[in-house]
Order: sequence, then structure tokens, then C-alpha cells
Amino acid sequence: MIAAPAPVTARAALSASAFRSPTVPTMQATPFLCFDGVTIRLGGREILSPTSFDVARGEFVCIVGPSGCGKTTLLRAASGLVSASAGEVRRNGAKMTEPSREVAFVFQDYGRALLPWRTVEGNVSLALEAAGVPAAERAPRIADVLAKVGLAKHAHKFPVQLSGGMQQRAQIARCLAQKPDLMMMDEPFGALDALTRQSLQDELARLVRDDGLTVLFVTHDLEEAIYLGDRVIALQANPGPGRPSLARMIDVKIPRPRDQLTTKEHPEYLHLRRELFAFIEQGHE
Amino acid sequence: MNRHTPSLRALRVASPTPSPGATPAARRSRFRGVPGKVRPFVLPLLLLALFEWYARRAAALGSDALAPPSAAAKAFVGAAMDGSLWLATGFTLGTAALGLLLGAVLGIALGLVLGLSRRAAQLGSVSIEVLRPVPSVALIPLAMLGFGFGVRMELAIVAFATFWPLLVLVQSAVQQVEPRLLEVSRVLGLSARERAFKIVLPAIVPRLFVALRLGVAVALVVAVTVEIAANPNGMGYAMMIAQQSFDPALMLAWLGWIGIVGFAVNAGMLVLQRAVSRRMGAPS
Repeated sequence: MIAAPAPVTARAALSASAFRSPTVPTMQATPFLCFDGVTIRLGGREILSPTSFDVARGEFVCIVGPSGCGKTTLLRAASGLVSASAGEVRRNGAKMTEPSREVAFVFQDYGRALLPWRTVEGNVSLALEAAGVPAAERAPRIADVLAKVGLAKHAHKFPVQLSGGMQQRAQIARCLAQKPDLMMMDEPFGALDALTRQSLQDELARLVRDDGLTVLFVTHDLEEAIYLGDRVIALQANPGPGRPSLARMIDVKIPRPRDQLTTKEHPEYLHLRRELFAFIEQGHE
Repeated sequence: MNRHTPSLRALRVASPTPSPGATPAARRSRFRGVPGKVRPFVLPLLLLALFEWYARRAAALGSDALAPPSAAAKAFVGAAMDGSLWLATGFTLGTAALGLLLGAVLGIALGLVLGLSRRAAQLGSVSIEVLRPVPSVALIPLAMLGFGFGVRMELAIVAFATFWPLLVLVQSAVQQVEPRLLEVSRVLGLSARERAFKIVLPAIVPRLFVALRLGVAVALVVAVTVEIAANPNGMGYAMMIAQQSFDPALMLAWLGWIGIVGFAVNAGMLVLQRAVSRRMGAPS
């Protein structure tokens, strides 16, 4: 239905309203998170071409793009797991060089990111142990985050005893226990079934709003990106020499709280969905 | 419910039961008449009986080298009664355990360092490859000069012999720890010490047990060897004495006992391994 890209005139009209040019900097004194010409080369290949954008505190930014466009690498650079070959990532104006406890990272492969020899409780406790929280204070904080993600009844279970959705909840609980102000999520719901994914999306949106978290959320699911994000950033693979990986930036002005039924019938949602699909289709040609 | 029971019973009676030996499977099971639990012991018992018969015939022909298992059993009871059995067993097991402890602690510690740091691995690679193949028994003369006869010499050699397999196996186990877990430890901000004790060490536990079971076997072999060759203590020495005093029954009793002790120690390790892995969340 939407296989063919929109005519040029229609696209121009739409981009004036919905698309923001990536080259125009956001008007802010010190952005909360700032990507400044971040370039990453690994093994002689440019994984991420110079990318610049800012993220405001409390913003939920989704990153989409075809596989191999550097989405995950961008996230890893933002959390200090890999260092930029050129350019830099600044958090509160300070250059990120290594991981920080204020930046949490939710990995896609929850099965490998959880310690199989520790219970759910023990896995959450690891974050507190790392932060040097005294043993006496850990139990209430663990109970608190487990209640938040709906795992209170499963505190004493080992990861193998949990479903995929519950394992991912456990990983999110561990990240929340860090008390981060920035959360990186690398396709966290990509491996889950549709219903589990929807309920986790809603719970995440609620958690993020309650805790005032800033989120960078990588996904290959365009609808998920629009549903969750305040802004969607589209990357392109192999942009060509001298051109940035960042291809499009879209503001999502759909009111919150969002809802799986009504939001997905919202005219703005449908409109953005069409735009984004058309853009990605174009990139695949 | 009760109303249905009679009809069910009738049905069961009516259903044709296969006559024994009718199907190939049933025919095979008739030849397998031995219950599964007993089956592993059939062969050893047969061998013992054969040995008994052969040794008695050899004794009748005037051989001093062999004694029938029944005589060995009698000698074994004698050694158990006069306490020499327990003393020697305790000495050998104690020394092997202490030596293993020493070798394992050092081997695990160094294996962790070499597994975690590529630079350390490169630094140590040549020294390890040169020292590792030295047969531990070849150290007996050196250890005798350094420590004299006795526990300390045996300890040193057992520690040397168990150090290398532990080192190499732990190093490779550490290098195979799930990289995602190491990333998790970086993101959570664990210190190097916490990373070693909370991530790496628990992650290698299954492989560590394989290494430890190998270490236990090596420790026993080396301990008994050292006792046979040099140290006038323990089970190996007791066996040598029996041989030198032309007591083949006692010698065989020791031989059999050493085998049983080795078997028991290994079985104990397996039980321990299962208990630990159950505590660590492995599906039972």
C-alpha cells in the first residue's frame, strides 16, 4: 500500500511540518546529552559516519534504521562502551570516555545479560553492590524496583525459570536500581512476542515518566519508535563519503499518556507512520 | 465415578496382553535379565572371580608374586584392625588435599589474571610452556634436596603437579566467559576485584569443577608416586613395604584400597559439584 515513495511535492510539504533538518542545532545552553560529530571506525570500516544531535533531559529518543546503519554502535558510544574515533559524546557538557553508573544499558539479549547463578533479586542486587550501597539498605530498594516492574512475586527465581518478558523486566529492574538519569535500550523488546512487547512498552512509558528518565531507545520497529518516542531519529547505512549517518529527525507530537488502541488510531501517528515507512522504503531501493 | 470402574476393569481384562517373547523388544529384555543398577558391577565381580581362580592356581604352582583376592581381603582386614591402614590413608589423602589446595589456589589465581589480561598472558606464555611439561616426578630429587624426606617434599611436588592443569584450564575458562556479562559489569561500574569474584569466578564454576576433578586425580597419583619413590609415609610406601617383605596379599590389598579411595574421592567431588550447581540455579 505504501510501497511507493510519496511524490516529491507532498514530501516537501510534509517535511516542513514533521521533519527537522539534522544540521540545525537545538537551541539550548548545555544540552543534557550531545553527540558532536561522533564517528566510529572499527577494523577499517566506518560503522558510524559523523553524527551530531542533542538530547534534552527527560526526552525519549528512538533510533531507527536498517541493519548495519550503526544504531547499536551509536548507543554503545553514548554509554562509553566504545570510544568514538572522531568527535565526542558529552553528557552535561563533560566528555564521555567510559561507562558511568548514571547511564544504564538494557541489552537486547536479556538471557545473556543476566547472571544465571543469581536469582532475580541477586541480579538486581549486583547493581547496588557495584554502587557500594550498604547491605542493610539493599533489600528495600530491591523490593521497590521489583514492584515497579511487576516482578515482586518472582524475586527468588533464577533467570532460567522466567519467561523472556520477565527476564527482560529483571534486566530493566537492575538498570533502575542503578538510579540512572540516562537509560540506553538496545532493541529491548525485539525478541519478545507481540503481546508481551505491548505491555512492556506501556510499562516502560509509565516508568520513564514516573522517574523522569531520559531514554535512547534503539529499535527496528518503526511503529514502536513512534509509539514510545518524543522524537525519532532515522539513521542510514553507508551514507557515502563525508555524509552523516543521521538521515532524518522527526518530532512525535502525540499526547501522553499513550494507549495501544487510541494512539495507534491518532491521525498524527498514522501520518508519521506513513512518512517513516516511506523514508525507510526509499533507503532500501 | 464408581459406576464406571467395573466397565474399565472389564476393558483392561479384555485388552489382549502380548505374550512374553512375542515382540523383538521383549525377547531382548529376557536376555537382559540383570536389573540396571546391578549391571555395572557384573564385570568387576566376574574379573575378581577369574583372578581368584588364577591366583590360587599360581600359588599352587609355587608363585610368590600373586595372591588371591580372598587373601588380600584378609590382609586388608588385618591392616584395618591394627590401624596402619587408616594412618597411611590419612597421610596420603591429607597430603594430596593440602598439596592440591596449594596448587589450586595459586593456579586459579594466576589463571584468572592471565585470562583477564592479555598482556599478562603474553608475558607469561613462554615461561608456562617451558615449565608445564616438566614431569612432576622429575622434581623429586630437587624437592628432596630442598625439603628432605617427608610431608613438605610431597606437598611441594603435588602442588607443582596440580598447579599447571588448574592454571591452563582456568585461564581458558576465563577467556570463554560470556562477553556480555563483562560488559554488564563495566556498565554497572564493578571494580576489578568485584568483577573477578562476582562475575568471572561464578561464571567459570562448571569448568572449574572439571579442572578440580582432574586436579584431584593428579594429586592422588603424584602423592602415591612420591611415596613409592621417596617419601617413607602413606599408602604408596605401605605398598612398597608389603612388596619388599614378600607379602603379595597385603600389597594387593593396598592396590585395591588405593583404587577404592580414588573412586570414592571422585564420587565425592561429583556430589559436591551437583550440590554447588543446584545452589547456583542450574536446572536440576
